Amino acid sequence: MVRRAADPPHRILYGVIELHRLTKRYGGTTAVDSLSFTVGPGHVTGFLGPNGAGKSTTLRLILGLDACTSGHALINGRPYASLSRPMHEVGALLDASAVHGGRSAYNHLLCLARTNDIGPARVTEVLEQVGLADVGRKRVGGFSLGMKQRLGIAAALLGDPEVLMFDEPVNGLDPDGVRWIRGLMRSLAAEGRTILLSSHLMSEMALTAERIVIVGRGRLIAEATVAELTAAYPSLEDAYMALTASSVQFGAAR
Amino acid sequence: MISQRRPPAEALRTRPSTPRVLRQRPRTRKHSFVGVLASERIKLRSVRSTYLLLVLGVSAVLLGYALAVMAAGMYDNAPTQQRLSARIADLEEVVVIVPQLCMGILGTLAITSEYATGLIRASLTIVPRRWPILAAKSTVVGALGLITGATAVFGTYAVTRLVLGDRFSGAYTGAFAERLPLLITISVSVPVFALLGLGLGALLRSSAGAIAIIVGLVYVIPMIIGNVPEPWSERLGSVMIGALPREITGDTISTSVYGSLLSPAAAAAVLVAYAVLPLLAAAWLMRRRDA
Ligand SMILES: Nc1ncnc2c1ncn2[C@@H]1O[C@H](COP(=O)(O)OP(=O)(O)OP(=O)(O)O)[C@@H](O)[C@H]1O
Ligand SMILES: [Mg+2]
Repeated sequence: MVRRAADPPHRILYGVIELHRLTKRYGGTTAVDSLSFTVGPGHVTGFLGPNGAGKSTTLRLILGLDACTSGHALINGRPYASLSRPMHEVGALLDASAVHGGRSAYNHLLCLARTNDIGPARVTEVLEQVGLADVGRKRVGGFSLGMKQRLGIAAALLGDPEVLMFDEPVNGLDPDGVRWIRGLMRSLAAEGRTILLSSHLMSEMALTAERIVIVGRGRLIAEATVAELTAAYPSLEDAYMALTASSVQFGAAR
Repeated sequence: MISQRRPPAEALRTRPSTPRVLRQRPRTRKHSFVGVLASERIKLRSVRSTYLLLVLGVSAVLLGYALAVMAAGMYDNAPTQQRLSARIADLEEVVVIVPQLCMGILGTLAITSEYATGLIRASLTIVPRRWPILAAKSTVVGALGLITGATAVFGTYAVTRLVLGDRFSGAYTGAFAERLPLLITISVSVPVFALLGLGLGALLRSSAGAIAIIVGLVYVIPMIIGNVPEPWSERLGSVMIGALPREITGDTISTSVYGSLLSPAAAAAVLVAYAVLPLLAAAWLMRRRDA
């Protein structure tokens, strides 16, 4: 896909997320502090940071759910809020448990799909893709966390978007599910999509992501490829520990 | 090499793999309101509470029937002297508080259940302009309210007329056409409650708070106003939702707990304001508030 940005003219963009000095303050706390980085297509970008580093907030700011205090985030050169049927361009999983327990998986997805003119055939398709076809008519309230994660991923995939953002999708998945996510993320990236994936599981990131963005206390700590990090440190986990040592807010004494 | 805070330019520029597949995009169309409307319809249809509230709202007809049978029994057992002076309240107006309350709660839950579960984040993400969600919810909830209200009110009228016959000096034997305007305005008060519930729910983002206000408007405030000294009792009583159907049609009665100071046009405007103002405020706030 080739899309022309409004400004400057003739700039060609492939699924790109750009953050320019993105800042968000909630009262006195600065959740995101002048954060700038770019996420490109064709690979998985891991988004790492200690608890409270501002990862989830950053994703909400990109999606226009929260208004940024200053700076801006662009998707394919445009602010998210200006997208008319955003599911076709951006898919996001923020919180897998944010579903109405009384609704069936199928109806939950259909509610989302309809708003962006996506039909029931596609709902059935994504249910199959995430392995929930058999329980599609069951109430979501009875789903395990892992099943809800799959449902959330299905929702993100509904519009066949080229930009995908997942906030800790591996949470609650069994080893089979973890491996499934890894494969899915890689194949989505191989299709040329742009994938931003937040997680705390270093070993998983080492296997899935090609690039890593590390934040701490809302600030950018490092932006590099996994290869660069593992060359400089014994492992990705060691790299993470060393880089975030000064930014951990909610941890036991080390 | 990795540098902290400011990574080297090379690290930033590296794009290890280029996209292999460049997929065709559908031409961007304007967001269709029809789609959002369909979504909101499915949302209501796919949860149990909707059916419960609809059945409860329509069951007002049974309450009306029971009241009519009771009144007929009392009338038949009374001495002739008392029968001549016996009066009966309009039962449609008595029982309509049931669908008013049920649809008020339905309207509230239509939005507060999304805040309670967190689903609202997904809803607002996929409809970034946000107000179409409120507009679609208003349409669905308003339509359900009108259907439920009309069923309860006209159903109660029919059974009461059947049960009472010419008792109570022929209170229920008059021409249907004469009574029709009042039946319509009483019915319309039900979707007003549904929209009011939706608006309050969207403003407060909490089921408890919004439902408390709805219950207060139906039961508590009219009672308080009855005990306020005149002229305020009459003035405040005239702008209560319960007073408006009669003020609009001009069918005011002296025995009402409400006032009757408003002209039909003014009363209609107040009724619309109850439904629309909280929704407009909520739409304005929703645009600005963090989700
Ligand atoms: N709506 C809000 N109101 C006030 N403070 C908030 C809000 N959302 C986030 N914060 C604060 O912003 C900071 C960043 O939170 P955020 O949830 O983005 O972190 P995170 O990186 O996602 O953490 P985790 O790894 O635990 O999910 C925290 O200090 C949090 O308390
Ligand atoms: Mg988080």
